Amino acid sequence: MKTAATACFAVLALSYVGQTCAASIDYDPARSILLRNCDERLWRGKEEDARSCYTQILGSVTDYHVRAEAAWALGDLRAANTLFREAARYKGDQSQVHVRWGRLYLETHQDAEALKLFREALKVNANDAQGKLAIAQVMADRFDSQARALAEEVLKQDANLVEAQLLVARMSLEEGLLDEAEPAIERALTLSEKGKFPPLEAYALQAALELLRGGSNAGARAQRGIDKALAYNAHYGGGYELLGHFEMIRRRYRESIVWLQRALEVEPERASARAELGANLLRMGLIEQGQQQLAKAYETDPYSVITVNSLRLLDRFEEYDFGSVDNIALRLHRKEAEVLRPYAMQLTRDSIAAFSKRYGFALQEPVTIEFYPDHNDFAVRVAGLPGIGLLGVTFGYLVAMDSPSGRATGDFHWGSTLWHEMAHVFTLEATDHRVPRWLSEGISVFEEWRTGPTPGVVVPPEAIQAFKEGKFLKVVDLDAGFIRPRYPNQVQISYMQAGLTCLFIEQHFGFEKLVALLKQYEKETTVAAAVKDTFKVSPEEFDKLFTEFVKQRYAKLLPRLDDWETLRSKADEALAESKWQEALEPAREAIDLYPEYVNDGSPYLMLARAQAGLKQADAQIETLRAYCRAGGWDPAALRELGSLLQERGNTQEAIDVWLAVNYSDPLQSESHLLVGEQLLAVERAGDAEREYRVLLALDSHDKAVAHFGMARALRMQGNRAESRRHLLDALAIAPHYKPAQQLLLQTIEERASHE
Amino acid sequence: MGPALEVGPAVTRALLLCMLLVTASMPASAVTYAIVAAGLGGEAEYEEQFRRQATSLSEAIAHLDEEAQVMLLIGSQAQSAALRRELQSIADKAQPADRLILMLVGHGSYDGEEYRFNVPGPDLIASDLSAQLNRIGAGEQLIVIAGSASGGAMNRLQRPGRVVITATKSGSERNATRFAEYWVRALTTAEADVDKDEWVTIKEAFDYAERKVADAYKSSAALATEHARIQETGGARAERIPIARLGKGRSMPTDPELRGLFAERLRIEREVDAVKARNAADAKAAADKTAEDRYYDDIEKVLVELARTQVRIDARQAVLDRTEGKPRS
Repeated sequence: MKTAATACFAVLALSYVGQTCAASIDYDPARSILLRNCDERLWRGKEEDARSCYTQILGSVTDYHVRAEAAWALGDLRAANTLFREAARYKGDQSQVHVRWGRLYLETHQDAEALKLFREALKVNANDAQGKLAIAQVMADRFDSQARALAEEVLKQDANLVEAQLLVARMSLEEGLLDEAEPAIERALTLSEKGKFPPLEAYALQAALELLRGGSNAGARAQRGIDKALAYNAHYGGGYELLGHFEMIRRRYRESIVWLQRALEVEPERASARAELGANLLRMGLIEQGQQQLAKAYETDPYSVITVNSLRLLDRFEEYDFGSVDNIALRLHRKEAEVLRPYAMQLTRDSIAAFSKRYGFALQEPVTIEFYPDHNDFAVRVAGLPGIGLLGVTFGYLVAMDSPSGRATGDFHWGSTLWHEMAHVFTLEATDHRVPRWLSEGISVFEEWRTGPTPGVVVPPEAIQAFKEGKFLKVVDLDAGFIRPRYPNQVQISYMQAGLTCLFIEQHFGFEKLVALLKQYEKETTVAAAVKDTFKVSPEEFDKLFTEFVKQRYAKLLPRLDDWETLRSKADEALAESKWQEALEPAREAIDLYPEYVNDGSPYLMLARAQAGLKQADAQIETLRAYCRAGGWDPAALRELGSLLQERGNTQEAIDVWLAVNYSDPLQSESHLLVGEQLLAVERAGDAEREYRVLLALDSHDKAVAHFGMARALRMQGNRAESRRHLLDALAIAPHYKPAQQLLLQTIEERASHE
Repeated sequence: MGPALEVGPAVTRALLLCMLLVTASMPASAVTYAIVAAGLGGEAEYEEQFRRQATSLSEAIAHLDEEAQVMLLIGSQAQSAALRRELQSIADKAQPADRLILMLVGHGSYDGEEYRFNVPGPDLIASDLSAQLNRIGAGEQLIVIAGSASGGAMNRLQRPGRVVITATKSGSERNATRFAEYWVRALTTAEADVDKDEWVTIKEAFDYAERKVADAYKSSAALATEHARIQETGGARAERIPIARLGKGRSMPTDPELRGLFAERLRIEREVDAVKARNAADAKAAADKTAEDRYYDDIEKVLVELARTQVRIDARQAVLDRTEGKPRS
């Protein structure tokens, strides 16, 4: 079990190293008895004894494999690697060598190399249980749904394999299947005793089970499991580390930090625990402390890519601005800080006001939002968190997300992503991070639909198809859809199911019941209990009602999903040939069947295009309005709508539409210039100033117009001094800029008349 | 926000008007010779695109200089032989005071040695093109190749007095380019006219097109597969040479009062540049508030003077237009 295994290596050097580490436990019954003698001392925490034992093996045994294991246990990884290579040369027909060699690569985070060796082992012996188990281990660490199937296959082969029982138990715990985990843990304990293996990891899982069972004394019960492990080996930090892991995947970072700190108290050299501690401190926004722990972890385990990448990212924080106003802190890359700041700040404020009111919870700490123009940096920031969407992540009072500059225009609506993540801040903090994953995601999706910058229920056809195929999960099992998906895109389907569940609650029971459900998690509870207490129905009844709700909502579409696709294709083909009239009917029918569809290839946009071709501008406007009401936000479509509205003198609405584009595509200079001019025309000087400041920050080609816009906006607000400077800046760049010249002369006249 | 430190835009217009003042007193013999050619598109979409772009460019050049001799080669006319004939014809006539503009829009290729511009029939090869161009005695030359792999021609085409612009930095950037689209926009709209003097210089146009290309790739989060280049050799100054004229754009007036006002405006423009230059030097020495305040006071004085002079110019021009029965601009 990788997370419970020690990853504590002394710094690799060309020569022999000085400190024995508690190497990961090898549960293979075929392990050499010579090594087992030494292992038993190590498992008991008798490091010096173990050291002497392994050293003796190195000096006296000729078997390359045994010597490789001894070198590994002594922390000399290079020697171990060389010896494994020799062992493979002479004993290449023994799968055990390949498996153990692969395990060495796993310990140094080289999963790809490890997998190659495990597969080689299976080529030697296709039924090698240890080889399969090692592959299952790698998959489990990646939260790959195939891990369980493979582990269970191994158990069918040999139910007495301790490690397989431990692995299945751990996966069950991660999926919240506590009742399945318990017997697996018991079996592991029994088999450990029988096989004279240390019960350390089994005790650790017992502790984790108690923790996850919850209740007021969960911590104390978990500690009892740890105490049993410490009684066996007083320097075993793996138990505490495992508790830290489970708290981390439940997003309880504060609690995770406490357990990890305890792990390091009993076993200071445990690099994996230190790296995880560092990562959790970063998730809490404690950057300096996080950096210190990661740097220390790096000293003992320089192989961890996560540690290295995290440290490199922290070095790059120098390129970012970090500042706070009104309990909102923004970390923005310097090249785009002044472009994003006004919009991010406003939207965050709006979301705090909305959610505080709706959920009756006031934030207790400042919130930090981080925007990453480089998606790889964002991925490093959030590495280690399973089943997380790739646009944004919330750790509590800290939100990290992709910047709009990191993705193609129209790829995602950053404003909605921010809104979604801010909802997570509330659901997590209002329940002290007890809220189950599905409910937190469900409320975030629901709030995007109801109160976000692009209101409108948007459920993609894949989710409707999944419902049709009976793939929606029971509410008590919905977390598994996020944490260990069993088919491609199950995570995305689960988001939609969760959102629809919250929508159902609002519509069937009332919004206040959704709030009540959330409040159930102010204490430890289960989904079943929370559903029963809130809605006074059993979870089974709830599922029935929900299913009926979805059936009703999509009654028209469900039997005609294929027809909808056909209609879309028809409209699309007609448009491709500029047959505008022919495109109208299929587009309209497609909208009627599925009015929620506003994503790529939306029939709304097809209809609008046909209407544009037929020069039916009024109809085109109505279609685009309907598209926006349904939650559509394509920047080009909104800009087009804005232009059409303005042509009809509907300036205010045009401005609102153009301003909305800032939350999907804030980086187009022309947009800010256009809307800035319109805002000045209707004397919304403060908003106009914002647009021109952003235009300046975009470092657009034509800075003179940006300065001139600023001059007028500031002048309108009575800020003559700053207005003058911007006006002069405009003319310094473009001395013949006539409108600016006229304003300058007017300003001079006014000044003269006041004097 | 700080004071603008750029120096130069007013100089552009100043020099242009100087040129016009000088030439107005000499025989009007300086000629602009221009050839714009659209290469082989391969697909219908590219054919239409190149044709449209080349046509827009030729119209822009014609508007720049009403006396310009502009040859547009599109479709089957755009063959190497035709281009060779036109260039030879120019070589026979061009004088050192004249100007040559050559713009090629289309696909190209590069084999490591030679750049080829794809046209109907045998391709146009850069070394041949270079030899033909070198025979032309026009003192000021602008060559623009807006297409894939065009950077492969750069080295062959460089020569004193010549500005060369290619859509790619080398011959290995082989994808179809977006540069031409923005180059056309630079010459046909006011978007590239940063200093708002109603003239677009080669530098303004290039900077605009280059930036727009980069923005286009950024907004699709795609890796840029083209990087435009500009090379000015031996005295050729892209920031001084106009390539497009916006609006009505007045030629040098004959009216003495107006000429006097133009000269006055020129003088003030030089003062604007002088104030900016002083500020740039001051800013290095002491970046303090006092220096900044002083700069704004000084620049305001000259800009006000410039604005007032412009008002007088516009008023005088309106009188002349009424007298001549012309519509006011």
